[in-house]
Amino acid sequence: MKRSALVTAAALLILALAPLALPFLQFVLTIAIAKGFAALGVALLLRAGLISLGHAMFYAIGAYAAAFMATTLGITDFALLIIGSTAISAFFGVLFGLFLVRYRAIFFAMLNLAVSMVIYALASKLYGITGGTDGLRVAVPTVFGMTLEKSSFDGLLYYTAIVLVALLGYLVHRYLKSPLGHALSAVHSNEVRLEYLGVSAWSTLLTAYGISAALAGVGGAIAALSIGHVLPEFAFWTESGHLVLTAVLGGIAGIAGPFLGSVFLEIVHTVAVGYAAEAWNMIVGIALLVVIFFLPRGLFGLFERLVGRKSTDGEPTL
Amino acid sequence: MKFSSTLRSLTAASALAAAAGSAFAQDKPDSFDIGVFTFLSGPAAAYGMPGRQGAEVMIEQINAAGGIGGVPVSATFVDEAQGAEGVISEYRRLGEEPTTDFMIAALSSGNCLALAPIADQMKMPTVGWNCDTHQLFAKEDHPFFYRPNGNTIAEFMSYVLYFLDKNPDVKRVAIINPDYSFGHDAAEIVKATLKSLKPGTEVVAELFPKMGSSTYQTEISRLSAARPDVIFSNLWGGDLENFVRQAAPRGLFRQSQAVFALGESSMNNVAMPEGVIVGVLGDGWWRSPDAAKLGATEFATAYQEKYGKDPVFPAMKMANAFVVMKAAYEQAIEANGGAWPSKEQVTAAMEGMSINTLTGSMTFRADNDGIVDQVVGTIGSVEGIEGPVLTDMVRYDGSKVLPPEGEDPMVWIGSLTPEFLAAMPKPGSYK
Repeated sequence: MKRSALVTAAALLILALAPLALPFLQFVLTIAIAKGFAALGVALLLRAGLISLGHAMFYAIGAYAAAFMATTLGITDFALLIIGSTAISAFFGVLFGLFLVRYRAIFFAMLNLAVSMVIYALASKLYGITGGTDGLRVAVPTVFGMTLEKSSFDGLLYYTAIVLVALLGYLVHRYLKSPLGHALSAVHSNEVRLEYLGVSAWSTLLTAYGISAALAGVGGAIAALSIGHVLPEFAFWTESGHLVLTAVLGGIAGIAGPFLGSVFLEIVHTVAVGYAAEAWNMIVGIALLVVIFFLPRGLFGLFERLVGRKSTDGEPTL
Repeated sequence: MKFSSTLRSLTAASALAAAAGSAFAQDKPDSFDIGVFTFLSGPAAAYGMPGRQGAEVMIEQINAAGGIGGVPVSATFVDEAQGAEGVISEYRRLGEEPTTDFMIAALSSGNCLALAPIADQMKMPTVGWNCDTHQLFAKEDHPFFYRPNGNTIAEFMSYVLYFLDKNPDVKRVAIINPDYSFGHDAAEIVKATLKSLKPGTEVVAELFPKMGSSTYQTEISRLSAARPDVIFSNLWGGDLENFVRQAAPRGLFRQSQAVFALGESSMNNVAMPEGVIVGVLGDGWWRSPDAAKLGATEFATAYQEKYGKDPVFPAMKMANAFVVMKAAYEQAIEANGGAWPSKEQVTAAMEGMSINTLTGSMTFRADNDGIVDQVVGTIGSVEGIEGPVLTDMVRYDGSKVLPPEGEDPMVWIGSLTPEFLAAMPKPGSYK
């Protein structure tokens, strides 16, 4: 346990220092963390055996919420924007969760996909409100009343994101160790028994769904503030697929998994695009195959080896 | 031992000398590094690849003539199909490399909207080579982002002027555009222009098929039933070609006058019937009389030799972006007394710049939007030229069809009257 905390701290430190060596990495890693939050949301549901093929909608809701608050409502404070978008995303998570968590397996996956595509269609068609496929601009927010240059704001955003990874990561870790978190895994292993124990699977899942939507919302808000522009493609199904892939690739046995997967994917993507503009899709594909063949427990398997944890200590196999 | 240490000190000394030399001659880099953003994969590559090929030909020609200010150009191409986040991170990665001098970005309007504030932030002179949304400079100034291109207002209004002159009795108009901002913007502009210039015209169908649709049969049935006099469309790439292939056998083009705004880029790939109105979203028709005088023919010959086909207008737009970049640097070098200019000096050179591109004149307004003429024509054939060409052409003065700076474009269109149309040059006047 001690060792894993040490390795996590070391990893966060590397993350914090990386932009000093390669400045352009700051943006890439900010996006990787943002998507890592959304992937963590997906991973949470995967523990209950539910695959959400529409989680990018909460990422997009978080991003658009930040854009709307900044432009329409005139809320320009950085902290308020992140907290507000998370809350809005969580609200929609609970709202959609009310009916979505009644379904299992392929029905859950497909219904999530359907709802997310409705959100995508609304974002791209409600031209007057959302700017259509051209999207919305997000101005640089103020930080507790101070106006910052975009570059110094980006730095602040990056380190805030790392702090959020540690903070929210720890909270999610505690949640998974709580009875509510264990009930979540129990939905996957034996839902009937869970109900006989007097625990409502529906409310267990609704809580998890709300939390996972909130996590995706944090990610979306970070992405919106970092990119400075939100587009409907944030909610597109390929983006949702990307999140599931990130979660599985990183491994769902621990909090670090989705973040590892996300950082790995973003860096492979950046390197591939930089060195082979024509063949980047293929390089990313090959990298994924390599991980899937050689690291069946995802990149988190590497983490487990580092901290000497047995692979069976993790959560359910899928 | 002794030898190796001598060698080492020699190497160190030469490295030092090289470093010192480069520090003094930092003004002039070894290569002129630029980033070029276009679609290299996916359906939009149908439009993006001619852009890339145009860039390759321009780079060869510029380098063969000694480069820019004596420095050879070297481009890094970036695929826009990876989405806005990827495009932005690549822009930042390239921009933070101290060797990068200039950016040519981007094709997609969404990407330009996202990149413009970043260009300002990184103080990186950037030219938008294709993106044409009129929203780009509408709300904010972007001192480092220039668009030598005109915008959607001028582009789509010109088609309405042309088809109204060609078909003065038009009563019923149908619109079929791709289902994203570009298509919806164009529909709004066409409807607003019709309302001002020919009140009483009825828009009988407004269809927005999904991008990448494989079949347009329902849309074609709907269009046939609506009996429009004119069908306006800004479909492009594979979508336009599919639509034409499916609509031609059903007689749609015998029933209605078709207007394909981006038709020139597809007319060599699909048999478009003669009489269809097409254009180039600007003045980028390489066979136009002005273009022939300005050197587009040499460019086209080099392009044909390299790729075995004619350059289409995306290739010309890209080539013109290179012309603008080269002119900006040369002016900046001159203003700097022959020394290599800083990025700010290059940007300052672009401010209000007025030059000849390969296809016409281009002037940057104070809001960094470029004023270019609009060439519209009708597909026909000319003896001695294989394949379709633009005939019965008109060339609208770019400054007349662009809304005045700072004015809401839709309000401006609303203020026009039928006299505006009467004062415009007529089809066939540009020879």
